[in-house]
Amino acid sequence: MFNKEIEKILPLVQKPARYTGGELNSIIKDKNAVKLRYAFCFPDSYEIGMSHLGIKILYDCANARDDVWCERVFAPWHDMEALMRERNLPLYALESGDPIKEFDLIGFTLMYELCYTNVLNMLDLAGLPIRAADRTDLTPIVIGGGACVCNAEPMAEFFDLLCLGEGEEVFDEVFDLLETAKAEGWSKKKFLQAAAQIEGIYVPALYDVTYHNDGTVAAVTPHDGAPEKVKKLVISDLDRVRYPEKFIVPFIEVVHDRVTHEIMRGCIRGCRFCQAGFLYRPIREKSPDTINDQCKRLCDVTGYDEISLSSLSTSDYTQLETLLDKLLEWTIPEKINIALPSLRVDNFSDSLMEKLNKVRRSGLTFAPEAGTQRLRDAINKNVTEEEVLRTSRKAFAGGWTAVKLYFMLGLPTETLDDVAGIADLGQLVVNEFYRNPDKPKGKGVTVSISVASFVPKPFTPFQWEPQDTREMLLEKQAHLLSNIHTKKINASFHKVDISFLEGVFARGDRRLSKVIEYAWAHGCKFDGWDDSFHFDTWMESFSACGVDPLFYTSRRRSFDEVLPWDHLDYGIRKEFLIREAKKAYESKTTPHCRIHCAGCGADRLNGGKCDAHA
Amino acid sequence: MRTLRVWFQKRGPIRYISHLDLMRTMTRAIRRSGIPLWYTEGFNPHPYMTFALPLSLGMESLCESMDIRIEDDTGEAQILSALQSAMPAGIEITAVKVPVLDPKFIAFAAFDVVFEDVRDSDDFYDKANALLHRDSLVVQKLGKKGHKKVMKDVDLLEHLQSFSLTKDGELLRLQLVLPAGSTTNVNPALLCDELLKLTDGALYRITRTALYTKDMELFA
Repeated sequence: MFNKEIEKILPLVQKPARYTGGELNSIIKDKNAVKLRYAFCFPDSYEIGMSHLGIKILYDCANARDDVWCERVFAPWHDMEALMRERNLPLYALESGDPIKEFDLIGFTLMYELCYTNVLNMLDLAGLPIRAADRTDLTPIVIGGGACVCNAEPMAEFFDLLCLGEGEEVFDEVFDLLETAKAEGWSKKKFLQAAAQIEGIYVPALYDVTYHNDGTVAAVTPHDGAPEKVKKLVISDLDRVRYPEKFIVPFIEVVHDRVTHEIMRGCIRGCRFCQAGFLYRPIREKSPDTINDQCKRLCDVTGYDEISLSSLSTSDYTQLETLLDKLLEWTIPEKINIALPSLRVDNFSDSLMEKLNKVRRSGLTFAPEAGTQRLRDAINKNVTEEEVLRTSRKAFAGGWTAVKLYFMLGLPTETLDDVAGIADLGQLVVNEFYRNPDKPKGKGVTVSISVASFVPKPFTPFQWEPQDTREMLLEKQAHLLSNIHTKKINASFHKVDISFLEGVFARGDRRLSKVIEYAWAHGCKFDGWDDSFHFDTWMESFSACGVDPLFYTSRRRSFDEVLPWDHLDYGIRKEFLIREAKKAYESKTTPHCRIHCAGCGADRLNGGKCDAHA
Repeated sequence: MRTLRVWFQKRGPIRYISHLDLMRTMTRAIRRSGIPLWYTEGFNPHPYMTFALPLSLGMESLCESMDIRIEDDTGEAQILSALQSAMPAGIEITAVKVPVLDPKFIAFAAFDVVFEDVRDSDDFYDKANALLHRDSLVVQKLGKKGHKKVMKDVDLLEHLQSFSLTKDGELLRLQLVLPAGSTTNVNPALLCDELLKLTDGALYRITRTALYTKDMELFA
């Protein structure tokens, strides 16, 4: 609910339902009957945030406790923010309409680097100091979670706590501790020291970072009893972990407006560029029965007519066909569509194709990632040209007329031949369509090539690599376009400026805090949105703060350099990453985890268990 | 297969959802209710659902209706309770009946407007009253000329069928009837925005209370 002052500005903004709450299955509690109020913030628009599965899971977990009321907060869009600031209306939580400044805990999901300025903006809109050191009271405690936490050093000065890994269980301990701290009137300092003892909780203020003269990190030293290494906490049994029985159903259309189901965590593939493939190890699968029951219940309580089975590589789920059989039994009569994102081209069977044909047809998307076999081997994307073509052939025979292919530019060891190879592969797919004798009459084929810029990320074998400069990427984009000779292929590219900034923060350190603060103070927010992105302001911010962004992106790091994230333990051993990096230089592949365990070390987080070699 | 008219109210925060959002909300609510909805035949089956007259974003209403098609002869009372249990907060099903009139016969709508947070309500009442008794009040509204969108002049008072302005303590209440439907449609917000200019810091809430035919017969 919202107050009357908000009501006065709602007629003046676009999509006012972003700011009203009241959606089906949102949770209202008596604020006087709970011990902790938790504002769960998503530093992007309502439409993006409400599409995020993590927020649904953690909202449910937190509200399962009678003593906690968790509410949602999204970044107000430019028009709403301007009016809120003009009228001194503080940022409020959607369920109660209460200002989040009064809450005990404020959480942010850091799902990608370009949301950082929005975090600062939301704290400021709430009426709170943006720097952790300036928030001296015990509450609100500001905590961050999500993929970027694996190196949130650029944001370390703004957060009190960072939660590594999977939040479903860690949060319970944080809630308990904060309740005790409030009841016993602890100082914030005492609370932070105690919180550092929780497995999976990182307290940046308890670590001092020193630097060498060349700018690299000399050491990260814990104090006040904080552990040398903060270990990621993993959920060991996905069948037993809480999964929401209800999803909030937004009134307005959001990006992913459907039942989403996470069928497994982790990925067996070990593609060397893919951070998620390493961060979410070890592999854990959910059983088909659990998924089927949970999907059925979610469809019943939401009324959605689409289910998306999500994971990093859905066709690697061992019982995919069993699961589809179970689902199709009731989804066909109930006219519910099943979407399978993240399918691979190498294990796309005829019977899977047949089952997919029973559901409403959507686009077909594959990710060869690189244009030549040599480069695909170097990045360990174990997909061959023949497999791409065979799958395209099957798809065209099955009636598809559009295929989308994902690639990256700027991969380590890439040459212009590899770039031209992207266009060649696109052409071969087009040819495959015209070779099909049963192709639908009067219909052409569209091959969309979506090309991202490669950004080296922490905890991958490429974490030491230089990132291509903007100039190099633009040259490669032009080279790719000059090699496309048909209108059947359309290519689209990521903005190189945005990739550059993402690269700076992905492997950045604490000295970037002041740059982020400067850029935010000079108007940067919603940086992930092309229309809101002000590259000039960012470059001005780097120079005003005396920070060279190329130090973070263009430099080759040596294997023995202390990395800003070395004190965080995601299970993956550094020796394994070095081994993989060296194999990449020789274009040698590593078989996936089910064929042969490569000894990444992630199973240590799960008592030596990994579903890939169960 | 038979057609039923579902009457409902739309009140509270849900008034901020658009007509398109309401259609999606209703489709999902009907799915949740489990009533035997009839689906169109063809390549991409979808439920048959049609609304009498879309409501502007931001308005509440006591008199919304949508027509749906049911596969079997489930009773109206049973459908009403199944639908109600599946509705989000703010949607109240008031009746499920066999339609009497085609929505094309809708010609007028009645609205109830409340002005709140008016700084000087006596002054506002006098000014509003004077404005409503003028001969004409021409404002610009976005209209269509062919396929192009253009600003058009519209005399709000010429279209105003009837009104009553009353003062209850600090609250000001305006009841009015304006043309509505497919031929001429005048949004009461145009008039309310003009009235709001007579004071500051205030807000208004509009509720659509009834729909009428050209002979002022209730739409049923």
